[in-house]
Amino acid sequence: MIESKIYPALDLKKTISSNRWKGLWNLMAGLRITYFIAVISIAISALAKTLTYLIIRDFADNALAKGSNMPIYYFALAFVGLAFIEGVFTFVSGCLAALSTEKIILRLRNYLFDHIQRLPFRYHDKAQTGELIQRVSSDVDTIRLFLKDQAKEVGRISLLFGINFIALLALNVKLSLLSIIIIPFNLVLALIFFKKMGDIFEEYQKKEAILSTALQENLSGVQVVKAFARQEFEMDKFDKANNDLFMQGKRLVMMHAVYWPITDLFCIGQMLFSFYMGAMMTIQGEITLGTYLVFINLIGWIIWPMRNLGRLLADASRALVSYQRVAEIINEEQETLRNGKSPSVEMIKGDIAFNHVSFAYNNGTSVLNNVSFHAKPGQVIALVGPTGSGKTSVVRLLPRFYDYFEGNLTLDGNDLRDYAPHALRHYIGIVEQEPFLFSRSIRDNITYGVGHDVTDEEVETAAQAAAIHDVIRGMPNGYKTIVGERGVTLSGGQKQRVAIARALLKDPKILILDDSTSSVDTETEVVIQAALDKLMQGRTTFVIAHRIQTVMRADRILVLKEGQIIQEGTHHELVKENGLYQKIYGLQAKIDEEVKCEVSYTNGRFHSNGKTRE
Amino acid sequence: MSEYYDEFQEEKFNTQINTTTIRRIAQLVLPYKKLLAGFMVFLALASILDATFTYLSKLMIDEGIIAGDVERLTELVFIYGVLIFVQTINVFSFITMTGTLRERINYDLHRKTFNHLQTLSLDYFNKTPIGWIMSRVTSDPNRVADFMSWGLLDASWGVLGVSISVVFMLYINWKMTIIVMCILPIIIVVAMKFRRLIIAEFRKVRRMTSYLTSVYEENITGVRVVKAFTREQKNLAEFDEKASELYHASYRAEWLSALFLPLVQLISAFALGAIIWYGGWQVRAGGMTIGDIQAFISYLVFILFPIYEMSRVYAKMQESIASAERIFSLWDTKPTISDKPEAFDPGTLRADIKFEDVDFQYDAGNPVLKDFNLYIKRGETIALVGPTGAGKSTIVKLICRFYEPTNGMIRIGGTDYTDLSLHAIHSRIGMVLQTPHLFSGTIRENIHYGRLDATDAEIEEASKLAHAHDFITALENGYDTEVGEGGSLLSVGQKQLISLARAVLADPDIFIMDEATSSVDTVTESLIQKGMETLMAGRTSLVIAHRLSTIKQADRIMVIDNGGISEMGTHADLIREKGHYYSLYTNQFREELAHQYDAVLV
Repeated sequence: MIESKIYPALDLKKTISSNRWKGLWNLMAGLRITYFIAVISIAISALAKTLTYLIIRDFADNALAKGSNMPIYYFALAFVGLAFIEGVFTFVSGCLAALSTEKIILRLRNYLFDHIQRLPFRYHDKAQTGELIQRVSSDVDTIRLFLKDQAKEVGRISLLFGINFIALLALNVKLSLLSIIIIPFNLVLALIFFKKMGDIFEEYQKKEAILSTALQENLSGVQVVKAFARQEFEMDKFDKANNDLFMQGKRLVMMHAVYWPITDLFCIGQMLFSFYMGAMMTIQGEITLGTYLVFINLIGWIIWPMRNLGRLLADASRALVSYQRVAEIINEEQETLRNGKSPSVEMIKGDIAFNHVSFAYNNGTSVLNNVSFHAKPGQVIALVGPTGSGKTSVVRLLPRFYDYFEGNLTLDGNDLRDYAPHALRHYIGIVEQEPFLFSRSIRDNITYGVGHDVTDEEVETAAQAAAIHDVIRGMPNGYKTIVGERGVTLSGGQKQRVAIARALLKDPKILILDDSTSSVDTETEVVIQAALDKLMQGRTTFVIAHRIQTVMRADRILVLKEGQIIQEGTHHELVKENGLYQKIYGLQAKIDEEVKCEVSYTNGRFHSNGKTRE
Repeated sequence: MSEYYDEFQEEKFNTQINTTTIRRIAQLVLPYKKLLAGFMVFLALASILDATFTYLSKLMIDEGIIAGDVERLTELVFIYGVLIFVQTINVFSFITMTGTLRERINYDLHRKTFNHLQTLSLDYFNKTPIGWIMSRVTSDPNRVADFMSWGLLDASWGVLGVSISVVFMLYINWKMTIIVMCILPIIIVVAMKFRRLIIAEFRKVRRMTSYLTSVYEENITGVRVVKAFTREQKNLAEFDEKASELYHASYRAEWLSALFLPLVQLISAFALGAIIWYGGWQVRAGGMTIGDIQAFISYLVFILFPIYEMSRVYAKMQESIASAERIFSLWDTKPTISDKPEAFDPGTLRADIKFEDVDFQYDAGNPVLKDFNLYIKRGETIALVGPTGAGKSTIVKLICRFYEPTNGMIRIGGTDYTDLSLHAIHSRIGMVLQTPHLFSGTIRENIHYGRLDATDAEIEEASKLAHAHDFITALENGYDTEVGEGGSLLSVGQKQLISLARAVLADPDIFIMDEATSSVDTVTESLIQKGMETLMAGRTSLVIAHRLSTIKQADRIMVIDNGGISEMGTHADLIREKGHYYSLYTNQFREELAHQYDAVLV
């Protein structure tokens, strides 16, 4: 949560309701009064408009009557005055509606941003990024439009209708009732049509998506298209999608071409009918000419806005869908980052013990099964084993990215669950196999995990230790270079070294390394190894090891298979033991041997070939 | 924030309206002048009827009610009623025509832009982001088409509405018309000025909104790092700062636009006051009727709304012209590589290929190849090895004539290949890429791409030769299996096999392959291997090789480093040299073995 001067604080979690209208209403908490004033303002402006027309009655019946000497400019002034009131209140209403809406939306955006980054790993493992972004951007915007325009407009139309209809009723009940016959028909027609039009439009958008997929594929496969000289084929293919879109577009046009004239016919027909009835009543003396004039003016303010109501309601229903999609995110439980002890980092020794720990991911299949071991402060623990054996899961439990369900895990003798995750993550540094860098400057990436201000010197020292300083210096903007911009792409090895610098600067008590250098050449490998050695000094380190050199240097090696520790010891102990480790080590040694063999074989063959040639 | 935007920014606007652009936009509509003329006619009719309705109302008051003439009233109502039906036809017609016009223009723009893209050379696609091109084909045509149909309709409706109303008003009372018309220029000036201001604000809002979305996106994709570094609070503070900026910008845009309509209404209220004052005085004097005043009040609204609408169109117009300019700029881009006038097709490319002192650079001052010489014998298989970025794929792209040498010459069968037609070269080259590109559709359709007139039997035959047949028939739907967008439903290995089959079907004279580096399971790998052997037999082949078996089988191995050949020869030659190839080879060998052993372990 964050203190904002702009909006009143609100825990959105508590506002979520299964009734979507109620949920939207709750979202407005603290800003409803502003919004309410906005709606009242429209009512006042509508009232001013109605009064304008009511004055016409007086004007026609009294001021213009023969022999009257009522000063006409009174009326003119009243008109201008009322128009002023109308204008001011329309403006006030627009401002306040926008003000409250933007505040509500800012609050929602901030909440969602924070909420999502606090959702647990279990959530993010199954969530799709694209889908999530869709919800926080376009669904939020749909809600924004609903509050700012649609809800207000529905309010405006209802009030306009209410006020004007009451005015009409006051003038003449019979005529008023005769004038709204068409409204229910129009409303039903609108709802039916816009439902159908929504479907057609959706189909249109699908066709548009097909078109852009065809384009996208053509662009990303441009080499293939050219290599097979298939330009004409592609043009035909695209033309087909284009033509489909065109036909669907025509369908949409036809819907509009039918709907609008029909409702026009209804509305103008209704008005003409009312005009005729009113005129007859005027001639028969049932109402005055002034009343008739008011009447023909006001009726337009009832009929036309009501025609839009159907469309508006159809649009507004989209906001409910969006609300639900946003509410689903908010309903997810956050991690409780701050619950628990958080001793300062100097107090932490880095003594870690796993006691019969078992763990499973979302799908329930067991990943770790009864794992026990003890890591003393400053030790380097290597985790070895085939893919899927649970190496990564062991280290993911330490920062409480996931909670284990059986056994217990202690840090310095205290149960890990007694520590606040926030504190634990502060003690632990992680260097991943394929580190994620943010599209900020390289400097910002290196200082990412540091809570306080860092001097340039400190940053450079960290970068030097991670053997990346020279690479960064060689870039056009040095440390200010934005990662990922204008083709500034870092290789896998470079990214890893930036991540090492990032971890160095964080200065953690416990270090987790996913040590993979498969994609770098031998020279870089040596450099990275040196950087890693520096990083490991004085910290309890867990290394997911892929190379035997790293493993051999470890204080202790854990061999995992199918979620269990099947062997444990130092390199010298394990090599002697008959087991998986020996096999892995054997294979590594065999590789070296085979390489030698292959080379000498080739050489030999060449040699003998050479001899025969001689 | 500006540092995050680059030259391919969407919202680049040119406030200067360029007459050439306008003329070119007008040319888009030219093929549909009948539609255009049609909707204009019906629109004009509709506008006249709208104004007539008001006039009829006036007559109903003056000649019906005030005169107490029921017969005349009934007559007027009857005419009114008939005209409503006529109006229905008008509205139906102009909506249909305008809508059709819009779809036509949209279709034409899509088509022409896409077709032009097909003629452009590879360098264009390398230096232009896909997203940028996508917008030129998808969203820009929408804007232009909207403007040239609905925009044109709204604008014409505005002009017609104002002028027809003015005619009716003049007919009723010319003096009062002049008084009312005084406000017109004021409103127009205010409307235009305001719109410009509002557009600028909304553009800012849109830009900030999309920036905010990108912040969201990054925080979600990097959420694990965020958590590991406990950056939540700081990130939120940063986000709040940006979001609050957006809040202020949005609010400013909103209140500005909320001010617009009331302002216009207020100005027009003065006109209304004038009508009442002057009109009332005239009625008393007997110069005007009550119906006249009523008509004037209605016509005032007729003038007001069009102006409001026109200011909206004006706003859209600027965006549409900018869109059109971007589309035209794409149309104006010429392909860097195209056929010479006398370009010919030699009938076959089964010939020697020769690089003569070839220089090449993608960007000026950044040479990739320098004085490069190479002689490839007909039917020879050459393996290209070397570090990433050394120039291996550049050599391949030059042979394909996706690019042409900056200096020097490439000869195929002795002829400078720029004298040959592009089609002659491209249609005889078979290509299999590292990450093979498949099109969405079925496997059959994708293989078919290799030769469009191939029969199903030939497709299967090609798949068998490429060793893809077995895996395809093992799939539930066989050859009719959907591959998904970009082939996403298949593994990389499967995609390679399919693209091999595609190349086999094409029966090329020159075969080019960029081997996959990503791990492919051992079975598929050996299948790919066999498929490649089929393809390479009897053809000039160039392989950017990663697998040892491929490398070893090549007739010649070229080690490319820093834009030149650092070592060349057979496997045995190069091993003996113990140079760069030697260390590459041993490293690769190590990795392949490790890969095999890992498979054994699991």
